[in-house]
Amino acid sequence: MSKSLLKSYDPSLVVHDLVQDLKWDPALRNEFARNEAAVLDRYPLEPAERQAIEKRDFRTLYDMGMHPYLGGQLSRLIWGNDAGGGAIRAVNNLVASLTSGKTEP
Amino acid sequence: MGDIVFAGGIPHLPAMVGLYDRAPPDVQAIVRNSYEALHTEIKAAKPDAIIVFANDHLVNSRIRSYPDFLIGMASEHRGPHEWFKPWIGCRDYAIKGDQRTAAALFRGMIRRGIRMFAETGPLKFDDNISVPVTMGELDKLGIPLVPVLQNCTVPPIPEQHRCYEVGQALGDIIRNDLPPGMRVALIGSGGLSHEPGGSRYYVIDEEFDRWFLELVTSGDHDRMLKELTFDRMEASGSGGTVELFAWVVIVGAIGPRPGRSFGYANFRDFRCGFGAVIWDLSKQGMDKREREPA
Repeated sequence: MSKSLLKSYDPSLVVHDLVQDLKWDPALRNEFARNEAAVLDRYPLEPAERQAIEKRDFRTLYDMGMHPYLGGQLSRLIWGNDAGGGAIRAVNNLVASLTSGKTEP
Repeated sequence: MGDIVFAGGIPHLPAMVGLYDRAPPDVQAIVRNSYEALHTEIKAAKPDAIIVFANDHLVNSRIRSYPDFLIGMASEHRGPHEWFKPWIGCRDYAIKGDQRTAAALFRGMIRRGIRMFAETGPLKFDDNISVPVTMGELDKLGIPLVPVLQNCTVPPIPEQHRCYEVGQALGDIIRNDLPPGMRVALIGSGGLSHEPGGSRYYVIDEEFDRWFLELVTSGDHDRMLKELTFDRMEASGSGGTVELFAWVVIVGAIGPRPGRSFGYANFRDFRCGFGAVIWDLSKQGMDKREREPA
């Protein structure tokens, strides 16, 4: 059985734009940290897509077709991006979401 | 009428920089020795330019309009890009570009029927270029660099046969399109096994990594092209290991030659296997392959 996460990838998902904009735009990133809902309001996300982001439900996002590389980056945008701290927290929460569905808020 | 005077493959795992101090001494030694060899042997080869093929990692283009190969044509390259600085933990750098060589590469690929894209402005670099440049201190050599960012991420991905063809064209361009006497170093940046963003984020496939290092140091390209498939790499770490196709471009450019490995390191916190190879470009290296056919 293939272990490829890319088989269900759907390039049309809007969450990809959100992640790419966030990593390219520090001002948007700051706003996302302060008021995530206001940023999400500006993207035409499907209701289930938005709900999965809000619930930190990466399993659902991946099943919908989110690219896992950008999923990893979304986790760092949420939980932290520094090598020795936030990024480790992000990886642990991402893996927990994909395997057990349990993550930090 | 140019010459390839150096060819190597080396990983760019970001955690290796930020978490280097947490690694055991034997792992640190393999990483350190590999990057020192990269620096020392490139310096000794006296190239006029370094061309690096590396995974773009969805950094420079939208996912819906994604180029398979993007050549950096700027006069200077700086990195890492702002968002990646804390994640990688490396120092800032600036390295000269080589606009003439980048243009010759772009022109040569198009004329050989290989679609590439090129950017004259600054490209954004994450670990792909930043780690080899800073860990190998390539910016301190005073040699200009031409980055070629490759699609190893967005399906459909150029697989081993296509990457090998691109490498063959690269070699042909260096030999026939570049100025007489021009010396070029080639680096494939990426790997080894890893699954960034997946449930196996912490899983390193040591069996695959050791098999891969044996394969690419053997110089047996028939076997490499048969066995180093997209599916094989995805099984060892989805969405990450396939960036080893950047190494396939480099070996396509130099042809079947043996290589030297500098050891293998498997440290869980790096979330990626580590091993580097430098290929033997001497006449003896070619002769050895001819004596030991697959």
